[in-house]
Amino acid sequence: MATSTHEFDPQAMGQHPEQYFRREYVWQLPVRITHWVNAACLTVLFLTGLYISHPLLAPSGEAVHHFVMGRVRQFHFAAAMLFTVTFMVRVYWFWVGNNYARSGFPYVWRPQWWADLFRQAADYLRLERGHVHLGHNSLGGATYTVFVIFLGWCQIFTGMALYSESNPGGILNRLFGWVLPLLGGSFQTHMWHHFFAWGFVVFAILHVYIVLYDSTQYGNGLITSIISGYKFYQKGDFKED
Amino acid sequence: METHTRSASTYDVLRAHGVDRRRFLKFCTMMAAAMGLDATVVPQIVEALETKPRLPVIWLHGLECTCCSESFIRSSHPIAQDVILNMISLDYDDTLMAAAGFQAEENRKRTMKDYSGQYVLAVEGNAPTADGGVYCTVGGETFLNILQETAENAKAVIAWGSCASNGCVQAAKPNPTGAKPIHELISHKAIINVPGCPPIAEVMTGVLTYILTFGALPELDRYGRPKMFYAQRIHDKCYRRAFFDAGQFVETWDDEGAKKGWCLYKMGCRGPTTYNSCPTFKWNNGVSYPIGSGHGCIGCSEENFWDDGPFYERLSSIPVPGIDSTPDAIGAVAAGAALIGVGAHFISTEVRRAAGKKIGSDTEAQGKEGR
Ligand code: SF4
Ligand code: SF4
Repeated sequence: MATSTHEFDPQAMGQHPEQYFRREYVWQLPVRITHWVNAACLTVLFLTGLYISHPLLAPSGEAVHHFVMGRVRQFHFAAAMLFTVTFMVRVYWFWVGNNYARSGFPYVWRPQWWADLFRQAADYLRLERGHVHLGHNSLGGATYTVFVIFLGWCQIFTGMALYSESNPGGILNRLFGWVLPLLGGSFQTHMWHHFFAWGFVVFAILHVYIVLYDSTQYGNGLITSIISGYKFYQKGDFKED
Repeated sequence: METHTRSASTYDVLRAHGVDRRRFLKFCTMMAAAMGLDATVVPQIVEALETKPRLPVIWLHGLECTCCSESFIRSSHPIAQDVILNMISLDYDDTLMAAAGFQAEENRKRTMKDYSGQYVLAVEGNAPTADGGVYCTVGGETFLNILQETAENAKAVIAWGSCASNGCVQAAKPNPTGAKPIHELISHKAIINVPGCPPIAEVMTGVLTYILTFGALPELDRYGRPKMFYAQRIHDKCYRRAFFDAGQFVETWDDEGAKKGWCLYKMGCRGPTTYNSCPTFKWNNGVSYPIGSGHGCIGCSEENFWDDGPFYERLSSIPVPGIDSTPDAIGAVAAGAALIGVGAHFISTEVRRAAGKKIGSDTEAQGKEGR
C-alpha cells in the first residue's frame, strides 16, 4: 500500500493521487480535551475503586495518623465529578461540534449502518484494509456507544446515587436516589457499579489495541490525531464521517 | 389486659402503676432527646401524655417471629416495659392479651367500631399472598383479610420491623408463600415503616410518643421511615469509622486488627449501606451493638438484606442464575478474554507479516458507498 514515505514527486502525485495523503482537521479541541480528561478520570476511578472495594496493605499504628481510605475516596469522588462534567461537555459538543463530533452515532435503523458494521468487523478479522473512515466507522461507533456512553451514564447514575446516600433528602439524593430501589437497594447498586466499571477495562483494552493496529496498518495518523486533531486520508477513504 | 378506662391518659395509668412524677418527666425528656427535638418540646410531650387519652392500638401479628414485641417490651428507660405497654391502649394484641378465641376477635371488632378512624393499626410481620393467603390464618381467617379489614378504618398504620416494612426473611428468595410487606397490601393509608429485625426499642417508643404528642406521623423519608431515626447510616456514626478512613481493616476474625478493634468492612460489614439508629441507642439498655461486639452489621433494616449475598462478604454475586461470582471476578475474566482476543489478533497479524503477506492491503473498490 502506498504510504507517505514515498518520495514526493509532483508528477506521480498527479498520476496516482490515491497514493498520497491529505490532511483533515477532524477532532476539535473540546473533543481532544474531553478525551484525555475522561481517560485520566477513568484510570483514577478504576484504580481508586479497586482499592475502595478491596483495600490492601493496612497502615500500622494509630488510626489518627492515617487517612488512606479517606484520601482514596476523596480522589474517587473528585475524579467522578470531573468525569461527569467533561462527559456533559462532550454530550454538548455532540450537537455543536463539527460533523466528526457526531460520527459513530448508531443508526441502527439503517441497513447501511449494519452493513458497514459487519464489513468493518470482517476487515479487522481478515486483516485487510477495507474502507477507512475519517470519523468513526460503525463498529467503532457501536463500541463507543455501548462501552463509553451507555456505561458512562450507568456509572454516573449508580455512582451519584451511592454518593448521595450520605445525605438522604439532599439535592443529589433527590436527583439520583430513585436509582437505588430500582436496582434492588444500595447493596445491589454497589454490585452493578462494580460490574459496569469492568466494562471500561474491556473497552480500554480493545480501544488501545485497535487504535495501535489502525494507526500502524493504515498509516493515517490515528494516534496523533487525538493530540493534534488532524487525520490523514487518501483518495477513496470516507471523508464524510 | 385492659384494666383502665379508655379515656385515661398515659400519665393517669402510670400513676396508678406507682410511677412517680419525677420518673415520668425523665421519660418525657429522654423521648424528646431520642426524637432529636429540643428541650422546648418537653412540656408539649408532658402535656400530651398527661391530658390526651391513650392511643387506641390494634396490634396484629402476621408471618413473623415476634422479635419486634420482644424488643418493644425491653425498652431501656427506667420506667421500662410498664410505661411502654401502658402508654398506648393496647386493645388487641394476640400475643400479649389475656383474651383468647372468640373473645379476642370480639375485642378487635369492638375497637374497630368504637374507635373508627381513631385507632392506630400496628402490624408485626407480613401477609403471605400466594394461594389466597392460606399460609397464615388467625381464627380461621386469612391474615391478609384481617389486615385489610382492620386497616380500613385505622387512623394510621405502623409497620413494625423488617417483615412488615420490607418483607424480611419470609419474603426472601424464592418467597414460596408470596409474602409481601404491608405497604404493598394496603393503599390510601398513612403508613410508617419502622424496619429492623427487630427495630430498636427506643425507636419504637419514640414513634409512638411522637404520634401521641403531635397527633400525626413524624416526617418520613423516601422509604416511609421516620427521618429522625433512619436518616443516617450505621457507618456514619460508627465508632470504628476512624479505622475505616485510616485504611485499617480486620482481615480474619482472629487477627491483630480484630483484637485492636479495626473496621469490619472487609468482613462484610453492611454499615455503609444500612440506615438505622444502632450506634446511637445501641441494644439491650444501651449495652452494645453488633459492631461494638466485633461483628459486622448485617443490614437487618434494609430491604432484601437476606438476599444480598453472604453476610461476610463485601460484594454480592451478580444476579444471574447459575453464576455464583462477584462482578469483580466476572470483570477480571472479561478483561482477560479481551486481552487474549487482541493478543490473538496481534499474533496473527505478525504471522501474516512474517509470511510476507501484505497487511491492510487495499482489497476492494473504494469510494463506492457512504457510511
Ligand atoms: S421484622 Fe424480622 S425480626 Fe421483626 S418480628 Fe419480623 S422476623 Fe422477626
Ligand atoms: S465497622 Fe462497619 S459501620 Fe463501622 S466503620 Fe467499619 S464498615 Fe463502617
